[in-house]
Amino acid sequence: MAALSEEVLLVVKRVRQRKQDGTLYLMTERIAWGPEGKDRFTVSHLYADIRCQKISPDGKSKIQLQLVLHTGESTTFHFANESTALKDRDAAKDLLQQLLPKFKKKANKQLEEKNKMLQEDPVLFQLYKDLVVSQVISAEEFWASRLKLSSVEHSLSNNSKQEVGISAAFLADIRPQTDGCNGLKYNLTSDIIESIFKTYPAVKQKYAENVPHNLTEKEFWTRFFQSHYFHRDRINTGQQDIFSECAKQDEKGLKSMVVQGVKNPMVDLLSLEDKTLDEGYGSLTVGPNSSKTVKENSNSAIIKRFNHHSAMVLAAGLRKVILVYWKFNKFYPELNLLFMNRDAPSDQASETSSTDGNSRDSDFFQPPIKKVKLQEAIEYEDLQNGSGPKTIALNLKKSDRYSHGPVPLQSHHYSTSQDIINSVSCIQEEISCYKPCLTRVMPSSAASSAITALSPGGLLMQAGTQQAVSQLVPTDVQSELKHLYTAAGELLRHFWSCFPVNTPFLEEKVVKMRSNLERFQSTKLRPFQEKIQREYLSTNLTSHLDEMIQAAYNKFHAWQTRRMARKT
Amino acid sequence: MKLNIEGLLVYFPYDYIYPEQYSYMLELKRTLDAKGHGVLEMPSGTGKTISLLSLIVAYQKAYPLEVTKLIYCSRTVPEIEKVVEELRKLMEFYTKETGEKNNFLALALSSRKNLCIHPEILHANIVVYSYHYLLDPKIADLVSKELAKKSVVVFDEAHNIDNVCIDSMSVNITRRTLDRCQTNVDTLQNTIQRIKETDAAKLREEYRRLVEGLKEANVARETDIYLSNPVLPDEVLQEAIPGSIRTAEHFVGFLKRFLEYLKARLRIHHVVQESSPQFLKDIYEKVCIDRKPLRFCAERLRSLLRTLEIADIADFSPITLISHFATLVSTYSKGFTIIIEPFEDKTPTIANPVLHFSCMDPSIAIKPVFERFQSVVITSGTLSPLDIYPRILDFRPVTMASFTMTLARTCLCPLIVGRGNDQVAMSSKFETREDFAVIRNYGNLLLEMSAIVPDGIVAFFTSYVYMENIVASWYEQGILENIQRNKLIFIETPDAAETSMALEKYQEACENGRGAILLSVARGKVSEGIDFVHHFGRAVIMFGVPYVYTQSRILKARLEYLRDQFQIRENDFLTFDAMRHAAQCVGRAIRGKTDYGLMIFADKRYARADKRGKLPRWIQEHISDGSLNLTIDETVQLSKHFLRQMAQPFRREDQLGLSLLTLEQLQSEEMLEKISQIAQQA
Repeated sequence: MAALSEEVLLVVKRVRQRKQDGTLYLMTERIAWGPEGKDRFTVSHLYADIRCQKISPDGKSKIQLQLVLHTGESTTFHFANESTALKDRDAAKDLLQQLLPKFKKKANKQLEEKNKMLQEDPVLFQLYKDLVVSQVISAEEFWASRLKLSSVEHSLSNNSKQEVGISAAFLADIRPQTDGCNGLKYNLTSDIIESIFKTYPAVKQKYAENVPHNLTEKEFWTRFFQSHYFHRDRINTGQQDIFSECAKQDEKGLKSMVVQGVKNPMVDLLSLEDKTLDEGYGSLTVGPNSSKTVKENSNSAIIKRFNHHSAMVLAAGLRKVILVYWKFNKFYPELNLLFMNRDAPSDQASETSSTDGNSRDSDFFQPPIKKVKLQEAIEYEDLQNGSGPKTIALNLKKSDRYSHGPVPLQSHHYSTSQDIINSVSCIQEEISCYKPCLTRVMPSSAASSAITALSPGGLLMQAGTQQAVSQLVPTDVQSELKHLYTAAGELLRHFWSCFPVNTPFLEEKVVKMRSNLERFQSTKLRPFQEKIQREYLSTNLTSHLDEMIQAAYNKFHAWQTRRMARKT
Repeated sequence: MKLNIEGLLVYFPYDYIYPEQYSYMLELKRTLDAKGHGVLEMPSGTGKTISLLSLIVAYQKAYPLEVTKLIYCSRTVPEIEKVVEELRKLMEFYTKETGEKNNFLALALSSRKNLCIHPEILHANIVVYSYHYLLDPKIADLVSKELAKKSVVVFDEAHNIDNVCIDSMSVNITRRTLDRCQTNVDTLQNTIQRIKETDAAKLREEYRRLVEGLKEANVARETDIYLSNPVLPDEVLQEAIPGSIRTAEHFVGFLKRFLEYLKARLRIHHVVQESSPQFLKDIYEKVCIDRKPLRFCAERLRSLLRTLEIADIADFSPITLISHFATLVSTYSKGFTIIIEPFEDKTPTIANPVLHFSCMDPSIAIKPVFERFQSVVITSGTLSPLDIYPRILDFRPVTMASFTMTLARTCLCPLIVGRGNDQVAMSSKFETREDFAVIRNYGNLLLEMSAIVPDGIVAFFTSYVYMENIVASWYEQGILENIQRNKLIFIETPDAAETSMALEKYQEACENGRGAILLSVARGKVSEGIDFVHHFGRAVIMFGVPYVYTQSRILKARLEYLRDQFQIRENDFLTFDAMRHAAQCVGRAIRGKTDYGLMIFADKRYARADKRGKLPRWIQEHISDGSLNLTIDETVQLSKHFLRQMAQPFRREDQLGLSLLTLEQLQSEEMLEKISQIAQQA
């Protein structure tokens, strides 16, 4: 046992791992398992290495807990104590649930990033395996150039990568299912919960206030679904309901949104009409309909709710965008300026329609946003010279396929009956006037010799062997060769990037790279060459690799002799 | 470019021109040459406004004595502001081309707050304002009375002009109105009493003036200075105010009596409908009020309010309303109807009596405009069928033309969906509108479209109540949830502020790529005032045929009047009215040749010739036999095909020579031949 002094937080007996009985220990920094009767842990994971835990669904005969590591490996524990298995598992799960997030933050950020890079890029991963795992170069060396290279683009792509918005239908995804015995079951995932929180901050607040002191998580969501808040007739929310406040808050939010008004004067219906008729004039007066039936009321509640929901979903998406912009602006202040300009007019939008139309001076009173919108509205891009944004047209061979989209294939083979009749008559005509031209036929001996010459192995077919590498070489050798190429390429890239050698650092590096290349040649390339020799494959498969490496050696040699000459 | 329109040099502030713009200008010039009126239909997005402005400004510059002023009327504030913006562009072009400083004065009135420009309006070369400034006699009298006869009047977006006319002449009187009138009368009485004690001379002066009669006004009208006022009939001008209401006290007493009579009329338990003569007969029998003093009522009240130097006229709007009613009811024996309803149809238990004095003849309000100004042009993107407007507005146009949109690619795709995939007919007609299958099919149509149309979809329903019911039903069936997987949903509400917000969010969602659906109502504010250019509206779905609510008594009376006076059959008018609104709705999505959009008419009745034939020509000509009575599946297939084609870049070279011309191309014989075919004379 490595660290006896560790504090053990939880011990669960009768836990099987790989069909072996044993005991599970949860300690402050790691989780470990040892087989029964043995004095050591055969399984031990630092919490920091664990990506997530998974549990077997309720009702399964085996009660299990799976740990998934950052490396992608996983370990499964089977809780085998019949009477307390479920309790044991949940105890372990709950404890892990508390512990894991703490370590997640601690986990080496950079490591995670490297990990991610490797996961996202299979070529890089292979390279890593070839060079680092087989110890051709050290991990630091490998990453040293990589991270620098990618950090800029990576951080950029990270920043500008759009966050996934919220599906407008997230509430639809949790349609209740009857569980067969007079109850309803809601399937709630963490994604949906997050969506609910993002869209309805009021619910999130309630959650923070009530869970876990007043309600358990389960109770909270049960109430949420029971609540009228979630259902259509939100007007009848009971007072004791914790969500009635949410409904009120939503109402308030909606009102304040409405009161704020719109920024774009072109969609402002309030100032659309220049003059409504004075009170009492007009033909069809639709007075304020005070007497609405209950049904109509609930109908208009639905409509309001849809507007609100869509606005909230939209806003939840936008909040993030603003955040990204904000981050972005820290690095690009000039952009910030741009946004300021864009947002500035909003304050003045309220004083619209103050135009007395009196020539120029009215311009100063016109809020810029309005001006821009008006200009946009009267613009005819095609009447003006000056090209719009460059576009690229699709160049399609079969445009009908593009425009009709994925439809069953045979529909493309339809020919009209006229086509068929035409072609048949065409062929008939050809046949009817076909006359064998016997005087110009080849003698049979010449014909058969031509056939032999053109058969595989024949006189004229010899050139064909070379292009058939893909057929002659087994696929595993092919892929190995590919890996060797990428690895060699990477090493050579490092090597050549040292030239011109003008700093002591580069000098050191170039020497090291040469030794790396030698090591690569001896540990990787040689065994491969021997292998293909054993399998009687043409050795010139690796000749190009050799040439490349030899070129590097030559360069190195030239550089070294010149350096020596200079030194002496 | 500089154009030669039948000998007139027209500065056109663009490098290219659409053939239909040229054709439009030709027709317009002919109208001005003939000093007559015109009806011109040209699709929105083909640069109608700039064509109008370019030609009329050029005309004014070339013949300053023939046309002295352009009065440009549009409907909404944004429209008016757009006109001003285009005018500015034109003027800048003039300055650039001629190098002269611009000496044109243009004036835009876009809010009543700024109504203090009376003298300036006389000097401006161009006036841009809302319809009401010319059509509503109450405002026209203040603003437009002295506009020169040699003006050209343009009513843009005029497809609803008849309703504007009718609205400006109709009056509704409720109990609340009468109560407030009572307060007004009391205030008047007290003020008169006070003035009598302090400044009796003022009242005597007024009396003297009234004895003289309204001679001044009469002289003015005869010498052709004023636009006549339909509330101030000619006879009134020629006569003196009758003795019975000449003194202030007598007049107030007269008003009191009239008020009491109206109060009595509102105390009823059944609906009453009568004509103006019947009303006059009754009032004479009951309270001995003669026709003559009633006719002078509006003018007399105006004079009194002026004499009493009452600062805030707005407080007296109820009594002004009553006086207008008195004058109108005694002046026009035809064209109006009086309907007194004791309660709303929906709530028969709650007494809420209303007296509707309803104008049924739009020509009454617009008559002075046609009579006074030498050229009046009525234009819009949707004025079909063209011949109905001269009939209901009672005027003789010299030109009537409908222009199509020349297109290098067919950028609009009207489809008529008549059936669901289950073959159940889709229709909003009364008998089937509650039908579950129809509602479900409508839902499926929207759902399918939400999956294939990029960015924005706008859907219109025939009425607000209908939309509410359908939305509720879709909600229960889970259709809306499925739609939400594809797009966000926003819905118009009766509250304008709320709808504005929904609209802005809708645009935001279209802008950021999420895509959204706006559910809206035909005849609503959105359908009449908001454009859905480019990605803000890639498809418009019209659920049902937007017939007006036909059970209203006012509408019934109007239909009867149209039949008797203009020989327009009820059904023809209703269909015309429904189709112009449908065309307005679907036309919202196409705002130019570079734009594109689907127009989906979801009602099998659209396939009938009497409906289809009333759509504007520029839409009608793209409805092929293959796009009638489709199922949802077929619609989806056709839409997909259309959208994919449209998604390809559309370059200037594709348009040039076909739907977009350079000056040289325009001048070729062949092209001029083609252009002459664009305008279809009605």
